[in-house]
Amino acid sequence: MLMLPAGRGRRAAAALRAALGESAERRRELERRAARSRALLGRWDDEEEERPQPQAGSSTEHEDRPSPKELEELKLLNRALEKALKIRKSILKTPLEAQGARGQKWAGEAHAPKKAEEQQVPVPAEDVPECRKVRAGGKKPLLLKKPSPYQLRAPYRTDPDVKKLQRKVPARCVSQAPRTAGKISSKGVTSKQGRSHRTATGASAREVCAAAEPQETPSLSESAPNEQQSFSGGDSAAGKNSTVACKQLLDAGKKSCGFLGESSKKEDTAGAWGRSTSPGTGTLQEKGCQLKLPLPYRKAYSRNSRAWERCRLCQTSADAAAARTHFMERIQTTFWYPKLTPSPAEIEEELRGLQDVPSHLRQYMEAEPAEPPTLQREYESLLTLEGLQSTVSQCLQKLQLLREALESQLRLCPDCPGDVGSCSPACVPARGQTCDSADMLAMPLLCYSSLQELRDLFALKLQVSMLHQEIALQKGTLMESQSNSDLEETQLLALHRQPKNPILCLAALPKHSWISGSL
Amino acid sequence: MRGRQREQHREQQRQQGSALPAAVGALCRALPPRARPAPDTLRRARFDRPQASLDFWKLLYVLLKQIHGGRWTESDAIGAQVSFVKRALWYRGYGRPQLRRLPADGSAGSRELLLAFSWLLHRPGLLEQLLARNRVQTGDEASVCTCEDDLPKSQEGPGEAGPEDRVDVRYLQWLNGRLRLQWCSLHAQHQEQCKLLHKIHLFTSGSHMDQNLGHFSVTEADLIRHPESYKQLVQLLDSETKQLEAFLEWKQLEPVYWQWMETVLDDMAEEGSMCESQDAHVEKRRLPEVTSCCPWAAKLAGQMDRLSRDLLALQEQLHQLVAQRRAAWWEKVATREELQEERFSATARKAQESIGLKLRGVTSLCAPQKNRMHGVCRLVLRNNQPASKMPLGQCVSKEAAAAVSAAEVIRELQVREASLQRELQQLQQQCRHRLDGIAEGLEGVICVSP
Repeated sequence: MLMLPAGRGRRAAAALRAALGESAERRRELERRAARSRALLGRWDDEEEERPQPQAGSSTEHEDRPSPKELEELKLLNRALEKALKIRKSILKTPLEAQGARGQKWAGEAHAPKKAEEQQVPVPAEDVPECRKVRAGGKKPLLLKKPSPYQLRAPYRTDPDVKKLQRKVPARCVSQAPRTAGKISSKGVTSKQGRSHRTATGASAREVCAAAEPQETPSLSESAPNEQQSFSGGDSAAGKNSTVACKQLLDAGKKSCGFLGESSKKEDTAGAWGRSTSPGTGTLQEKGCQLKLPLPYRKAYSRNSRAWERCRLCQTSADAAAARTHFMERIQTTFWYPKLTPSPAEIEEELRGLQDVPSHLRQYMEAEPAEPPTLQREYESLLTLEGLQSTVSQCLQKLQLLREALESQLRLCPDCPGDVGSCSPACVPARGQTCDSADMLAMPLLCYSSLQELRDLFALKLQVSMLHQEIALQKGTLMESQSNSDLEETQLLALHRQPKNPILCLAALPKHSWISGSL
Repeated sequence: MRGRQREQHREQQRQQGSALPAAVGALCRALPPRARPAPDTLRRARFDRPQASLDFWKLLYVLLKQIHGGRWTESDAIGAQVSFVKRALWYRGYGRPQLRRLPADGSAGSRELLLAFSWLLHRPGLLEQLLARNRVQTGDEASVCTCEDDLPKSQEGPGEAGPEDRVDVRYLQWLNGRLRLQWCSLHAQHQEQCKLLHKIHLFTSGSHMDQNLGHFSVTEADLIRHPESYKQLVQLLDSETKQLEAFLEWKQLEPVYWQWMETVLDDMAEEGSMCESQDAHVEKRRLPEVTSCCPWAAKLAGQMDRLSRDLLALQEQLHQLVAQRRAAWWEKVATREELQEERFSATARKAQESIGLKLRGVTSLCAPQKNRMHGVCRLVLRNNQPASKMPLGQCVSKEAAAAVSAAEVIRELQVREASLQRELQQLQQQCRHRLDGIAEGLEGVICVSP
């Protein structure tokens, strides 16, 4: 039904699984470190080696498939939706404004725990006019933008087993930060708003999370309304990927619901842990300034750092430098192409240096005012732009040179049978060919001056990592799909559609009785 | 003639004979513990003994893997080792044809390898890099580079495939959703860790004996709490200290080593004069295109393409903008009297100077940044009054540590993020176009876009 041809899907799945595994690994590592830090901030006389173990939430992450429990919950959810659809049949058309208002109300009332049935009803009611609209719209692209912050798409079903539910990432998830334990919302906000928002949300979310505990727990304990809640919650995380098949949204929703439940429990503990050791009770705070490292360590450390210092200051003697240079020159003459520079390493390094240049130049360009106030400014503006122009052409020339250099180097590339793996370093220290030993041997320090700076730094690093991963996945998808038109490929591509302008392709295939008489 | 030279060399060697074993010994001890050769290996390699070949291949393999940040195991096959070493040396720009011709089973060529090893000592500064990379971490690490985090190679083994042959697209979407969730929770975790770190750093300010640092790291604080569990750390520090001392010794005795290597070259020159490098040209491969070589080249070519696209787009925009502005300017010049006066030429010159300065900053962007930091750094909380922190006892006159400020790194990361976002958007745009194309082809499709 919605299967991909074997090769393509499997590769994508494998890539995703690998990415998941890697991030799970990271999380575990982070959790370990965090536990250690927390223990340090607590009372030292508690011989409490038992760290608050992450709840089942983390264990289920290892799995590559939805757990049976989740599948169970999914079935329940499907049944509930079936009921809802039946109910919907009996509801007449309601005005759009009322729907909008209800949407608002729906958002506002989201906190209050409700019965499952009651909540199911408004959902389909709002959907009816939308469905009709879509059908009437025919093949025209339809604007479903609504003034209310909460937007709901009509569920379309192809057959009773598969529920299709389209939802856009609700903007309200910003305000929902505390409810979704800060994680989902922070992700949602990321894609929509600036970085600053995200870090702020993420930062505040933790505090609010701890504060919002009493609210959360009762609502979390009730499964039914929770499902609705986490629809939007999990949805905001997974919502970007909504496509024809809504079941995955349900899956994601269920998963996130389960996950949220468990992880917020974990964070309760963590929050509680942190709170009990907040300033006033933490002994590290009390005696931190007076602590001393044990003597053996201190000795070893100072010997070590003195040795490093000596090495850093040590200069190559003139004799050695001369002898070395002589040797290097001689051996260079025996090379294939003694004058062949730059080496592949240098090419890569130069390229890395150029990568951010367009962004920088663009910043400069956009900083120039469109209407300079004075004549002098206008002249300066003109000069700047001309300068930028010449820089760009210089860069283009350099790029061309690098390209040619790469080609000539590749001609000499050794023929390596089998999978050598990557021969290029993952992270090359940026030295030219003359190694600056002093720099290399100095202790690298990263100095930060405030908590906010530290947070921004980590948030940005994570963002960059994530972007790298997304780009890699996106490239994989693009490469796999060919230019034939089939539904599966549509769905595969729609996996990675833009979060801002989601495109939904709803195919009315003859075999599916979709937009069926139920509407 | 040559014979006498050789004799002279041997004489020289005998005189410095006592220094040479010391030099070689120091060199070996300066290498990291897991990759330490016996001095005998080098000596045997000098005379091209085949027994030393396998060891030397292994040595180079391990060392290069360490610089490249790759993983290796004891059981890696010799063929793989040989390929990797050849490749890595090519990557660094080592171009001796004889090395290339060495057999893949690693049975010969120890002398060639010795030469390559010596070349590596200088060219990428093997010893220094290894020392820096393997530095014992006592602090809170944070990496500062924006290098690409490679996706782990997705294992395509048959065991990985699920029971069904085909993959349900919903499963993919589910995986995708989970991935996004993971990122969110990672973010939250990081933020929490930041808070904890900051607290620990703050609370222990002023306690560290190293004034550069000023406070304890998590490891060190933990060390105070549980001293017994950190014995290994102390041992590691000690062994590193020994390694550093060997490095210093090596630096003293270096000239001897290089002269010794010259004798190797002499020998080879003698022998090699028989067989010229006639196949230097034959070795050249004809590549139809750059990308067919290897994934690394493909990646680089892709980067270059993207970069040139970006730059060309920028050039186009600038071109238009400049033409526009220029036209407007000359119009003004034609119409306004004051611009044609002498007075303006003075202001024009001033403007040129100031803009010149600004542009110099721009052009320096395009030069590879020599000071870009890579690798892991130790996180240090430092309030921005270095003067006040100047200690009474230990005087750190010049900046002993290569300190990078978080603000700098943040700026770099922001720029990086912007370019990555652009790239992602372009890719998504491509996806969209494909989707549109497909959607048009499909029968009876309703495209709903908000």
